[in-house]
This record gives sequence, C-alpha cells and structure tokens, in this order.
Amino acid sequence: MAKTRELVVRRKAIRNIRKITRTMELIATARFKKAMDRATESSAYTKKIAELTADLAAHAQDVSHPLLQKRDKITRRLLLVICSNRGLCGGYNAGILREAVSHFQGLKKTGTSFHIELSGKRAINYFKYQRIESNASYTCFEDKPKFEEIEPIAEKFINEFVSGKVDAVDVAYMKFLSPARQFPVVETLLPFARIPEGSGPTKHGAGPGYEFLPNAEEILKELLPESFKASLFKCFLDAAVSEQIARRVTMKAATENADDMVKSISLLYNRARQAQITKEIAEVVGGAAALE
Amino acid sequence: MAVNQTPLRCSVVTPERAVLDQEAEYIAIPLYDGELGVLPGRAPLVSRLGFGCLRLKTTMGENLLFLEGGTVQVAANVVTILTPRALELSALDTKSAEKVLRADLAGKNTPADSRARKKARAILRAALKAPRR
Repeated sequence: MAKTRELVVRRKAIRNIRKITRTMELIATARFKKAMDRATESSAYTKKIAELTADLAAHAQDVSHPLLQKRDKITRRLLLVICSNRGLCGGYNAGILREAVSHFQGLKKTGTSFHIELSGKRAINYFKYQRIESNASYTCFEDKPKFEEIEPIAEKFINEFVSGKVDAVDVAYMKFLSPARQFPVVETLLPFARIPEGSGPTKHGAGPGYEFLPNAEEILKELLPESFKASLFKCFLDAAVSEQIARRVTMKAATENADDMVKSISLLYNRARQAQITKEIAEVVGGAAALE
Repeated sequence: MAVNQTPLRCSVVTPERAVLDQEAEYIAIPLYDGELGVLPGRAPLVSRLGFGCLRLKTTMGENLLFLEGGTVQVAANVVTILTPRALELSALDTKSAEKVLRADLAGKNTPADSRARKKARAILRAALKAPRR
C-alpha cells in the first residue's frame, strides 16, 4: 500500500522533471540555431580580415607592430576562461576548467605569474573554490555575445599587452568544429603568430596591383588590433554555440533517462499493485475459510 | 560612363553580421582623410576608413550607411568594407554626439578625446543628411 503510493509519487516527479528537461532541450536547440547563424555571419569578417592582412603583409616591408612582438621571456600571462553562467550542460564547463587549470598549474611551476579573467558564473565559482585569485570577471555573456561588449575587453587586453603588463594572452574556451565536434582548448591570441606571407596575392589576380592609402604598413597597423578583436569575438561566439550544443545533448540524454525511469517504475508499480491485490484476495479467501 | 562593364558590388561586413551586399552604380566611401568615389572599373585599392557616411547610388535610389572606421578593399569591381560598426542614419545617437562637442566648446575635453570628437562631428554631419532622403 505504502509502496504503491510511493511509486506513484516518484513517477509523477520524474514525469515533471522530464517535462523540464525536454523543454530545455528544445530551447537549447532553438538557441543553438541562432548562435550558429551568428557565428557563420561573423566568419565572413574574420575570413576577409585574414585575407587582407596576408595581402598587406606581402606588400609591407618589415612590419614591426607591438602586437606581433614575441617577448623572449614570458613571465606574465593573461588567461581568460570562458565558461557558461548556468549548469545543466554536461561536461561543458568541467572540460574547459580542466584544460584551463592544467595550463595554469603547468606554467605556474615554471615561475610564470598569471593575470586571470573569468567569464561565466561557473568559472567564477570554480576558481573561488580552488582559491585561485582572479583579477576580473564577467557574467554578461549568454548565448548572444555582442561585439560592443567584447570590444572594450579586447582593447583592455591590447593595452595590457602593449604596455608590457602581460607578455601573452591566452583564452580557454570550447572550440567549435562542427555540430558533432567541440573540444576545450587554451589558445594563445597574443602575440600574433606570424602573418602568413605570400599566400594572399597569389590567390586572386588583382593582388599585386593594389594601391595603398596611406601605405601598407599604416593599414596593417590599423588592421591588427581589429583582427585581434575579431578573433576574441570568435572565441565568445564559439563558446556560445558549443554551450548550446552541450546543453541540448545533455538534456536529450536526461529526457531519455527519464523515459526509461518512468518505464521501469511503471513496471514496479504494476507489480506491487498486483501483489497487493493477490494479497487481499488471499486474505479474503483465508478469512472465509476460517469462518467455515 | 563605362557601359559594358559589370556593375560594382558593395559588401559591408561587421564582426557581427554582413550588413549589406548589393550592386551599385557609384559608391562614395569615407576614407581617413576624405571621401573617395568609386565607379565600376576602379583600380584595386586598400585603405583605411574614417568616421562618416557611405553612399551607394543604386538603380533604386541612394543608400546611406554610417561607418565607424575600418578598412576598405576594392578589387575586381567588388568593394568590401570591414568596419566595427555600421549604422542606419536613423539609428545615430546625435544627442551624445552633441554632448561631446559641447564639452569640447567648454574646453573640458583633453586632446586624447580627439577620436571621440571626430566621431561626434561625423555623426552630426551624417545626421544632417538623413532627413532629406
């Protein structure tokens, strides 16, 4: 009696949870599509900028830009960790944090000091728990990061790098390859890897005849910070897309699990009910037999 | 005017999205030191942009867009504009631009604000063009 009641209550609870996970799955799917569209739209910009920088680098004689400068000794690194604000997305945050912390601890041993910036409540809480001091944190980035919001951060990074406060800028985030493949990485955004040389102009015929106003070096100087901003923005977009995918996959699994549980509990419930009925019949029969 | 040439194609891309991609007969681009007019068949060019209005003359009429710096590439009758922000003229924030210039008149701004000043001037200038269309 008590057992059947209990089972009914449990089954109901699971059904309610299933409703929630199913809804979350649908929401994540919708958001994923939107985030994905944004990511593809912005890739036009990144691609074009890369093409232009390659073109310019081929024409500019010996470019020296502070953002290209590789320091001999890297003693201070800036690490930005991009996580999500909310949980319920499976191994998404855990993967990034594992990657970030192992990067942090590996370099800490060699005497590098870190300036840590965190995005997302999950990262903030984790670092607080690990007692790793962070210098700045952001919680404003959800599934639609805006370029306007990221630009000031990028400018701050550029300033810190140029002024020599940090010697390298790393970002830990979930890289998006395809809807079926994402993996956590720590990427070094600054200093820039060398500009790809010579690949630009050969690609399309118009390359060699460019007229530069004012000149290739000047434009390149303008373009490099923009290129850094775009790549940082891309990290955030990738992270947003990956988060939605992770959430969708996790919630799908959770919904399926709930279905299984409801099934097995229904089975248990039927069995318990049957047992109870049998018991009651036996009692009635037994009682009648005793009266005879 | 070149007759048998392929028309100019203009695409404006910001980090967030492709704002515009259309054909035009004539394009006026706000460069860092003034305006540049582009007709079909222009020699390849790469240049820096300043704050200002991008004007497209199309068969449908004139099209205006406010650009906040960036880079332009002209190659093979395609004008590609990379800019951090591109705004419709109606979306311009003239109030804060006015504020910047007023502060300027009052002598409150430092030379370091010259970028903001340039932007404010360009915004107000562009806003003047808006109502006439």
